[in-house]
Amino acid sequence: MSTMTLTQDRAERAQTKRHSRLGQSTGWITLAKVFGVVALAMIYIPLLWLAVMSFAASPLSGVPFPLTLDNYRQLGGDGRWLPPLWTSVWLSGLVALVCMLIATVVGRSITRMRRPGGVILLTLLPLFVPGLTTGAALFIFLRTILELKLGIWSIFLGQLVWALPFCMLLILVIASRFDLRLLEAAEDLGASPWRRFWDIEMPILRPGIFGAGIFGFLLSFNELPRSLFLRGLETTLPIYNWAMAASQQSQVPIIFSLTTIILAVTLPVMGAFFWVLFVKLDKS
Amino acid sequence: MLSDPIDSPTSAPTRRPSSPAPTQPILEVIDATHAYDGVVALENVTVTAAPGEFLTILGESGSGKTTLLRLISGLEKPYRIGALRLGGVDVREVPAFLRDCTTVFQNYALFPHLTVGANVEYGLKVRGIAAAERRTRARQALELVQLADMYDRKIHQLSGGQRQRVALARALVPQPAILLLDEPLGALDEKLRVDMQVELLELQKRLGMTFIYITHSQEEALTMSDRIILMRKGKIEQEGPPTTIFDRPVSSFAARFMGVENCFDAELTGVSGSDALIRVGDHHLIGRWSGRKPPKAGAKVAVGIRAERLRLARAAPTGPDLNVLPCRGGGAIYKGKYLDRAVETDVAPMKARIWDASAADGEPSCVWWRKDDCIVMEP
Ligand SMILES: Nc1ncnc2c1ncn2[C@@H]1O[C@H](COP(=O)(O)OP(=O)(O)O)[C@@H](O)[C@H]1O
Ligand SMILES: [Mg+2]
Repeated sequence: MSTMTLTQDRAERAQTKRHSRLGQSTGWITLAKVFGVVALAMIYIPLLWLAVMSFAASPLSGVPFPLTLDNYRQLGGDGRWLPPLWTSVWLSGLVALVCMLIATVVGRSITRMRRPGGVILLTLLPLFVPGLTTGAALFIFLRTILELKLGIWSIFLGQLVWALPFCMLLILVIASRFDLRLLEAAEDLGASPWRRFWDIEMPILRPGIFGAGIFGFLLSFNELPRSLFLRGLETTLPIYNWAMAASQQSQVPIIFSLTTIILAVTLPVMGAFFWVLFVKLDKS
Repeated sequence: MLSDPIDSPTSAPTRRPSSPAPTQPILEVIDATHAYDGVVALENVTVTAAPGEFLTILGESGSGKTTLLRLISGLEKPYRIGALRLGGVDVREVPAFLRDCTTVFQNYALFPHLTVGANVEYGLKVRGIAAAERRTRARQALELVQLADMYDRKIHQLSGGQRQRVALARALVPQPAILLLDEPLGALDEKLRVDMQVELLELQKRLGMTFIYITHSQEEALTMSDRIILMRKGKIEQEGPPTTIFDRPVSSFAARFMGVENCFDAELTGVSGSDALIRVGDHHLIGRWSGRKPPKAGAKVAVGIRAERLRLARAAPTGPDLNVLPCRGGGAIYKGKYLDRAVETDVAPMKARIWDASAADGEPSCVWWRKDDCIVMEP
């Protein structure tokens, strides 16, 4: 509820500050609040429900009671999900790292172009290509035309193609606001090209670069359709979950608890990360 | 209480070598030409500056002032240049970050993510100077611009005037041989600008540093400079000490730019010594030639007279060195300290400045001025 009062508070302050036409009528504000609450509910209630059901004896029945730790016990006893988890973790970490690097290098060059419009469009267009299409296209290209043996590297490639445009978007938003004259000022004061980047440009682009890393990781960690085509004989966590959920009824409860654990770990970590990035670093 | 960063004991590798012989210019830009995408911004410009000189580049917006400064600092590579020497050393191939000059940018270009102190220290940091010494010297520089207590502030917490001072301190701290200032006071309000003019001038004299100062304000140029270079469309129109530029503009452009109110065209009928005899319609006038080249009789010339040198009278005075024109009185414009009277003559409408407002009563029948106050120049 505390978030509710906070948004309300902010809305009121904004209203008194701007005296906007819309802000004058309370009808709009009420409507906005209703939509906001509904949207948040749609996101969080299923997640919470999933967490609750992971403690249910028979999750698929729709009744949480009786509560039990059986699913977690079973998960602990079954070790098959561990290798896919590690594969996913390091693969996503690598995707995130490479995304940060490429997006930074390319993003800052795009903002230095005279007419960046066409290039930006071309870079961001893959966002709108369906995952199955990209997966199938890459599969045909790599496997059938180039006759390569698929494996982790091809999953990596597919996920990179998927995550990179988002990362580019994040970097471009920050980089397009970067004042290139600051680099001239640094140069004028005696800074070598590397120092100019490291001392001036990188710190100012940092929110975008880290944001690209976070999104690169998350997008890769959850990616399924492309991985399915490009996996070869490899298994990532989403592939494992999907395979379990699709084939074996008896494994479904384990998936409930597995996804709950992942949520319980990633949400706080991401929250802390964002807090450090946008609150702490901003103040220092 | 205030100590100059120049005096502080230091082992900075950038410390200026023992100052060059007074005859050797610290800056030489020879025959520089620059164009942006085919648009010529600078054309065969030659500028030199002596050590410790306060040199002002004056000109209207778009006349190439910033371009000239960027060629000196190295931020722009000239299209063609005869020579570019700083302290006698050819720096044509030296990148900007290795040149011994710093700039106070028109928009200040302060680093928004750093504190005031870190901004000021930056020039020392990139030279690998230890943190303790950096801090001391940055504090001294901030004291110099009277911002000693702002060391830990963020840039966005400063006012325009304070930002300007931080930019100045940041450029001063590496102790460059030449300080380049690009309209540093342009964004400040009137009162602050006048105060800062005085402070900058004092600072420059105290540090003995060479200042290349850009402005579009003739008043600023006149009060501050040892020498002025007046630019026009990428070329040098005139250069010299303030009094020369003020009293003896070479062309009607220079005259108008330096605030000569009364300018009109005439024909040169003859020259004797420094006297120029001219004709406008049926009127013959006498003035002093101040153009670049020796004039030829029959040439088209421009004539300029400052409003404060024009006198209004009811009866025509006589004398060998006087120019007199009959006139009809027009309106008066009240300017506070003085009064501007507009009058019609056969030659051109003219403006006369009257300091004693009580003397402005009545209708004048003629306007007169001395030969020495009548500037005859290139059109
Ligand atoms: N980066 C640039 N690209 C294209 N034209 C430029 C650029 N910078 C300056 N110019 C042009 O060069 C001319 C001189 O500009 P500048 O040196 O900035 O003049 P000033 O500083 O006297 O106002 C102007 O006509 C301007 O439009
Ligand atoms: Mg300029």
